[in-house]
Amino acid sequence: MERRTFLKLTGATAVAGALARPVAAQQQTTVRWWYHFDNPQASPNDLIAKFEAANPGIKVQAESIPWGGGNDYYTRLFAAIVAGSGPDCAMVKLNNQARLLELQALAPLDDMVSGWADKGDIADSIWTLNKASDGHQYYLPLQYVVIYLYYRTDMFAAAGLKPPTTFEEFRAAAKALTKDGVFGFGMRGGAGGYDNWGPFVLGGGADFKKGGMISDAALKANRFYVGFNTQDKIISPSAPTDGFQQIIANFKAGRSAMAIHHVGSSNDIAAVLGDKVSAVPVPHGPDGKGWTLYGDESNAVFAAAADKAAAFKWVSFLSTGANNAAFNALTGQLSVTGSGAKLDTIHQPRFVAASTASLPVAGVLPDSSKTADFTGTVWPTEMQQALLGQITPDAMMQAIETLYNG
Amino acid sequence: MNLPAAPTRRSLLPFAFLAPALAVEVAIICYPVLQTVWMSLHDFVLFRPNSVPFIAFGNFARAFMDPVFWLSLWNSVLWIVFIVLFQFLLGLGTALLLNRSFWWRGLARALVVIPWALPSVIIGLMWTWMYDYNLGVINDLLLRLHLIGAPIAWLARPDTTLPSIMLALVWQGFPFFAVTILAGLQTVSQEQLEAAEIDGANAFQRLRSVVLPAIAEVLATALLLRTIWVANSLDVILVMTGGGPGYASHTLPLYAFLKAYSSMEIGYGAALSLILTALLLFVVYAYVRRAARAEAAA
Repeated sequence: MERRTFLKLTGATAVAGALARPVAAQQQTTVRWWYHFDNPQASPNDLIAKFEAANPGIKVQAESIPWGGGNDYYTRLFAAIVAGSGPDCAMVKLNNQARLLELQALAPLDDMVSGWADKGDIADSIWTLNKASDGHQYYLPLQYVVIYLYYRTDMFAAAGLKPPTTFEEFRAAAKALTKDGVFGFGMRGGAGGYDNWGPFVLGGGADFKKGGMISDAALKANRFYVGFNTQDKIISPSAPTDGFQQIIANFKAGRSAMAIHHVGSSNDIAAVLGDKVSAVPVPHGPDGKGWTLYGDESNAVFAAAADKAAAFKWVSFLSTGANNAAFNALTGQLSVTGSGAKLDTIHQPRFVAASTASLPVAGVLPDSSKTADFTGTVWPTEMQQALLGQITPDAMMQAIETLYNG
Repeated sequence: MNLPAAPTRRSLLPFAFLAPALAVEVAIICYPVLQTVWMSLHDFVLFRPNSVPFIAFGNFARAFMDPVFWLSLWNSVLWIVFIVLFQFLLGLGTALLLNRSFWWRGLARALVVIPWALPSVIIGLMWTWMYDYNLGVINDLLLRLHLIGAPIAWLARPDTTLPSIMLALVWQGFPFFAVTILAGLQTVSQEQLEAAEIDGANAFQRLRSVVLPAIAEVLATALLLRTIWVANSLDVILVMTGGGPGYASHTLPLYAFLKAYSSMEIGYGAALSLILTALLLFVVYAYVRRAARAEAAA
């Protein structure tokens, strides 16, 4: 080759390389996604690799943020959004939707959802549950659990009892089983324990509308629940501050006969207790009505996201059929998609059945900026004081009424 | 008539050397403090950043009308007095023991630092499980020694929660006193101690009349610093009880933290923290005066 030709070719290659690199960089988008898993060893890396292989122009930067009972995760999320360093999308729950909306942090997903091919794989009721009070869709459903009642089948059989279906049956069973160092009910009085309280009090007639916490039915229901400690003595003395770890540990160790939680803990409990544990829907009031918590989890795309379309592609990938099933294999929760639910192999059928049977009475807390305060500070402090007799049960309900309705 | 000398470049040189440190000080201390003061004068809620009205001393007035503020303040007083007192007594006793000669003194001096070196979260988790109603070693030990007839829910009773957490803090912080006092003990004159012994003074009298006066400056500094640190600490309470049950383990810094980060009422949380700062300024003033006096004496 002549020297002049070689120089021309070299120069052309250098120019082409310099031009090509910027073009490739412009097509690459990075989506920052915040998530939290109960099991810190679980990793979404396989799902990310699958997504990136199917979407070469999008790179997902996943950041695991400690849950810390919820307060830590949301404190960081809100602070990051206000500081302008928030993620493009993140796992979120309904009890913070109102605050995120006030912050104007959420991007409406209506148009993107309506054009999403797998929209129909999620039940209409779940879409409705996740819709905001302004009628827009900001949350993309990701997984769910429904709070139900675990019970020790062996203890019940030995006492000749059936799993309770009403409040009175529940109390009678708990009383019969409280003996020899075992407590009938492993109540969660610490952080997150409103999902134990809700079935008895909201299911007993209380609601968050004006006057709904101080109606006769509401006060009676709450006195019944607080009475588990102050009168019936069917809960552990440590219950006022027992959290998730304590109630599950006590139930697995046989120190309580019943505990209220959800399918996310079923594998862990069943691994220890085997057939000695089963689950049923939480009990209902004498009028047949009941309430339990629909434990939602969704993904949201934030208004400040540079590429909302790319962020939606990632979050909708996670809510699609087989991917959703794979995601829930990491979290232990239930798939929101019909096709994903059929692929569920990690949960034992009796616990899925209890979850499904609880859906008709499952509800969420109000879509209000007060709800985060209710779950984070007001409910725990008022509940603990009431259980310890520092305030009356009625004073507790008045405090909740004041929080929501002034 | 003599005219005053014009300032020379040499007298500006110290300021030039101090300027970088001062700039860092302004950036990481002064600016955040001024920002906190600004936030305390506004109704600043984190999820309403576009609506931050100026309310002057409204947050402070709210604090003085808030029963939880007064309860938290009272708990903080108990917290500071008893933790610093017992850390001091335990640290003094440990230092006196470590000042003696025994063959494994070196190992003992290293081991005593462990509580001080552990992260606060580990300490909080460790002591939470030690206090556990069912599995805790404390209940197990007390039951075996027949000191209690039934397990106690240490962290679920309003009368035992705060003292239980305070015990964890005493365990965490006594090494600071032990190490500081031990260093001070090395400066005590042996001749004075021998003279006192010859004059018939017993161990307690030598401690009271020779040792303690000799290390008074060290003790005062350690007590003042520790008071400030203990007053501000909230990490162990946060891990162990989160301030519960109810408000039983609420202290002022914890209450300010919860208001700011859980309720997202940044303005009110800022006001609470400034009230605590103002109260601690008395202690800081005493420390600075003492330090200035010591420097002047030197």
